[in-house]
Amino acid sequence: MKLYIKTLKMHIKATLEYKASFIISFLSQILVFFSYYFIILSLFDKFGNIKGFTLYEVLLCFSIIQFGFSFCETFIRGIDQFDKLIIKGDFDRLLIRPQNILIQVICYDLDLVKMSRLVQSLIVLVIALINLNIEWTILKLLTLILMLLSAIAIFFGIFLLAAAFCFLTVQGLEVRNLFTDGGKHIAQYPIGVFNKGFVLFFTVIIPYAFVNYYPLLYVLGKSNNTFYVLTPLIVFIYLIPCFIIFNKGAKRYQSVGN
Amino acid sequence: MKFYLSYFKLRFITSLQYKTSALAGISTQLFFGIVYVMVYLAFYNSNSSNGPMKLPDLVTYLWLGQAFYSLFYMYYKDPEILDLIKNGNMAYELIRPKNIYFMWFCKILSQRLATVILRFLPVIIVGFLLPNPYGLSLPYSLSNFMLFLITLAISTLLMTAIITLYHVIFLNLLNEKGIVNIFSTVADILSGSTIPIPFFPIFLQKIAYILPFRYIIDLPFRIYSNNINILNGINQMIIQIIWFILILIIGCAVMKKNLKKIVVQGG
Repeated sequence: MKLYIKTLKMHIKATLEYKASFIISFLSQILVFFSYYFIILSLFDKFGNIKGFTLYEVLLCFSIIQFGFSFCETFIRGIDQFDKLIIKGDFDRLLIRPQNILIQVICYDLDLVKMSRLVQSLIVLVIALINLNIEWTILKLLTLILMLLSAIAIFFGIFLLAAAFCFLTVQGLEVRNLFTDGGKHIAQYPIGVFNKGFVLFFTVIIPYAFVNYYPLLYVLGKSNNTFYVLTPLIVFIYLIPCFIIFNKGAKRYQSVGN
Repeated sequence: MKFYLSYFKLRFITSLQYKTSALAGISTQLFFGIVYVMVYLAFYNSNSSNGPMKLPDLVTYLWLGQAFYSLFYMYYKDPEILDLIKNGNMAYELIRPKNIYFMWFCKILSQRLATVILRFLPVIIVGFLLPNPYGLSLPYSLSNFMLFLITLAISTLLMTAIITLYHVIFLNLLNEKGIVNIFSTVADILSGSTIPIPFFPIFLQKIAYILPFRYIIDLPFRIYSNNINILNGINQMIIQIIWFILILIIGCAVMKKNLKKIVVQGG
């Protein structure tokens, strides 16, 4: 952990050396994010609700999933871009060092620009929460925190799995984007509004529904089932096989030579 | 002309090599097609009276959008062209006794056509095969279909002209990433690729109708399902052609101006 914070500081310093380009990139990220936001706003402007969910309820859902994704994009960039690490042969260098390999990969890169998305998702979260009259209880607060944590966990898991596949294929897996970008797009909306088959897929295979559908129902008071409070924890169970697969891959790794 | 044609052919064949990435692209497009259709279906089911487009028209628009996604997304950057300036290879480019603007134009056009040719057909076929509310409909009439093809061809040229233009404008910038991103996000939204223009808030619709970007996606896709009828379609096609010529001229002029100021960075 100490190591991680130290490298984090280093990366931040490095990025800030190029101030102008950092600021422009930061602004452009805000705009890109705005385009997602724009879709939801215009659709609600026309339709008013989606299967009974209002704008702010959907924004809450949206901001949580965006938070998890941008958190992973910012702070564990090394895993996100793992194929580059392998292709360049930098992974071999990491293997020599007497530190946990996963931590080193995480420390490898930090994308400060993506931080703007993180900030924005939090802003949207706050806006949504202010406008939703939720009667807060300790359990609901706990649910919200668990949702945020599990949002990070789910993307961490997907990134990790995709990285494990890089050991086999060397090249990055484009199909991964289906599960991150595609899943992200679906999970922007409360998953229950979709087809049964879809809901099942995103509950059992990739557990987006546990991140921000079932717990969302509880937070919004649409359901009183207290079991839903704990559903985000299921996502963490999914993380275990991801870790195992990654470690297995790392053990079998043969250098691509460089 | 012959030179540019053979340059185009060369580039086109090179780009056709990436078959695995095409496979990944197709599956992404199919997945996203289904996701978008489901999102809109859920909205229409909640409040069907407020949709500004008829549902089958909209679904058709979405599928066409996915099929031609790789042709029309505006975030396209040609790393080779952008690197020319940084690594000094621009000097070689300048030595050639050919117009650089048109060489770049051909390069970008061939690259984009090659990508889309590998990808659009499977998406269209699956779109047709899907059952009623989810699937792509047939074109409204034969004349609609013909006009769709013509406007599609022109919009390919228009798209290439716009993208070449911003490669030319940012010729003298060493770190172009941020600015290009800002520009392409705006272009992408206003072309109607994120959501169809009839779904925009009114004031943004007005802006979108003035600017050239909507002639890339919005116009051909809506002609296909007669959401824009033949007569209006032909009128707008003329504006589309005018925009293309205008942007082509601007691109050439900016290129000329920027080449005078160019600094070749070592190499």
